[in-house]
Amino acid sequence: MKNEESEILNRFGRDAGFRVPEGYFDDFNERMAAMLPEVEITEVDTKPTLWVRLRPYLYLAAMFAGVWCMMKVFNGFNQNISTEQRVSEVASGIYMENNADEFIMSGCASDYDIMTYEDSVMMDEEAR
Amino acid sequence: MATTQRTYDEAAVIEQLHHPSTARAAFGQVIAHYSSTLYWQIRRMVIDHDDANDVLQNTFLKAWTSIDNFRGDAKLSTWLYKIAINESITFINKKKAQNNVSLDDDDSFLVNTLESDEWFDGDETQRLLQQAIATLPEKQRLVFNMRYYDEMKYEDMSEILGTSTGALKASYHHAMKKIEAFFAEHD
Repeated sequence: MKNEESEILNRFGRDAGFRVPEGYFDDFNERMAAMLPEVEITEVDTKPTLWVRLRPYLYLAAMFAGVWCMMKVFNGFNQNISTEQRVSEVASGIYMENNADEFIMSGCASDYDIMTYEDSVMMDEEAR
Repeated sequence: MATTQRTYDEAAVIEQLHHPSTARAAFGQVIAHYSSTLYWQIRRMVIDHDDANDVLQNTFLKAWTSIDNFRGDAKLSTWLYKIAINESITFINKKKAQNNVSLDDDDSFLVNTLESDEWFDGDETQRLLQQAIATLPEKQRLVFNMRYYDEMKYEDMSEILGTSTGALKASYHHAMKKIEAFFAEHD
């Protein structure tokens, strides 16, 4: 298309050859302004309302709130999975074995539990 | 004598257009700002200077009498262009009826008087180009004139003509091909 356009441009340029009488536009503007009829104009307040001015910021805030909610939901979903996993691990005793130190340090285990656990560790070492 | 050139502030003018006390003066500014641009757009459609003058007057009269309908949602230039194009097409259709030309025929009859037009000083090839443009369908003529002569962006044309930019590019391409074919036939 560029080639076709440049061919026509090279041949004719952008001047169509039309002319207007001298001072035509100045005369026209004056004549036209003078010939405008009386019309009833309804006063309109074209200044943007508070809502129009605040709208972009509110949309932006809503977008961030939406992203924050999605992240919350996503995290909650992940926590639910790990909690379920933990419950099943605790039930099967795997969790206690893997996280014994954590249990002891956090005070979740009673003295009896600690003693039993230490005994079982010693017995394991002796058996080895 | 020193003249003071008033700068045109479109936002301020639009604001003034909606107040009865300032509307008339503001519309005077609109006329002064857009008369030349709209005139050339109309002139390329109707070809004759006197016809273009009449259509331009009708365009501004229509814009003024329906100024209440302009709410500032679109650009003022877009709104004025739309009115000018509608007025040009209405005028051409009326002229076709007066000259017993079918509405389905192209607008070549408009160029017939170009040779004797005192406000046309183009040479034979420029007259031939006008003849080629006049054979195009109305929409293609508009697109060609806006793009070729005014170098208007497709996005702006899209707003005025209510057509997608893709369709406008295709229209311009077809117009170019037809003009090329016209010259291949007439050279």
